[in-house]
Amino acid sequence: MKQQGLDSKADPTGEGVQSLFEYLHAEMVTYVLSKADNDKEEELSRLEWMGYSVGYRIIERLSREWSRFKDELDIIKFICTDFWSTLYHKQIDNLRTNHHGIYMLQDNEFRLLANIGSKGSKQYLRESPRLLAFSCGLLRGSLANLGAVSTVTAEISALPSCIFHIKVQRM
Amino acid sequence: MTIHNLYIFSRNGTLLYYSEWNRLNKSGITMEEEAKLMYGMLFSIKSFVSKISPLDPKEGFLYYKTSKYTLHYLETPSGLKFVLNTDNGAQNIRGLLQQLYSQVYLEYVVKNPLCQLNEPIQSELFKQKVDALIKHSQYF
Repeated sequence: MKQQGLDSKADPTGEGVQSLFEYLHAEMVTYVLSKADNDKEEELSRLEWMGYSVGYRIIERLSREWSRFKDELDIIKFICTDFWSTLYHKQIDNLRTNHHGIYMLQDNEFRLLANIGSKGSKQYLRESPRLLAFSCGLLRGSLANLGAVSTVTAEISALPSCIFHIKVQRM
Repeated sequence: MTIHNLYIFSRNGTLLYYSEWNRLNKSGITMEEEAKLMYGMLFSIKSFVSKISPLDPKEGFLYYKTSKYTLHYLETPSGLKFVLNTDNGAQNIRGLLQQLYSQVYLEYVVKNPLCQLNEPIQSELFKQKVDALIKHSQYF
């Protein structure tokens, strides 16, 4: 038998490492939903909370090389570029804000949705939102650790693009 | 050159996916029966080849050819079976089958958490991608 380790030689593209998160995430979603008896919405908040804790911790490391952020917009910009490309290997495609604490982050090909439906596909539209709860929490957690308390919701109008709405609570 | 049709079978013989592009002769039986027939034949050929082979059969059964068409067969270590019928002119379809497995099945079925494994594939994206890959291949 040939012995193949998970080193870079056997797996030059890093496929194993990259998909590990995707598979684990999929299992988390299935597990959490299988625990739900009646109220699915309630269960998704557990997933969101997991995301929050992960985001809260991961931002410590990702932002360590950065000097302090000037303002809120600076933080969001960091999230859109460095944070997103570290986690999902691409940047946010579109950022909009009303300059009063509401931000809209649009990803035209969100990694966790990319294998589910093509442009304009309606097939899995109903099941897809559950795949976003963790990422919402991730955003909320990282923003919280950077000092911006917020609520994050997600919206899918057509796969595989999605929009994250961030509402920062002003003190 | 022509590609006629494609069957994907799971490890235990469920027909996961069927698609056809150029099939002039219908089998005259239902799809279920046809799939059973096809799987049974492949199963027999496989065991025939491994029993009759005078040497270590290595990859085993690769393809067969009649006067009109060639059936290409790829089985993955996990037992997934890809069967593609083409005309006799097509050479080295193996690469195409490998691509089908690694670039389409892996990406759009295995990595889609909403797809159940070992059940017929419903994903429309998967269908689209199979179609695109086959139609853009040089053999089509």
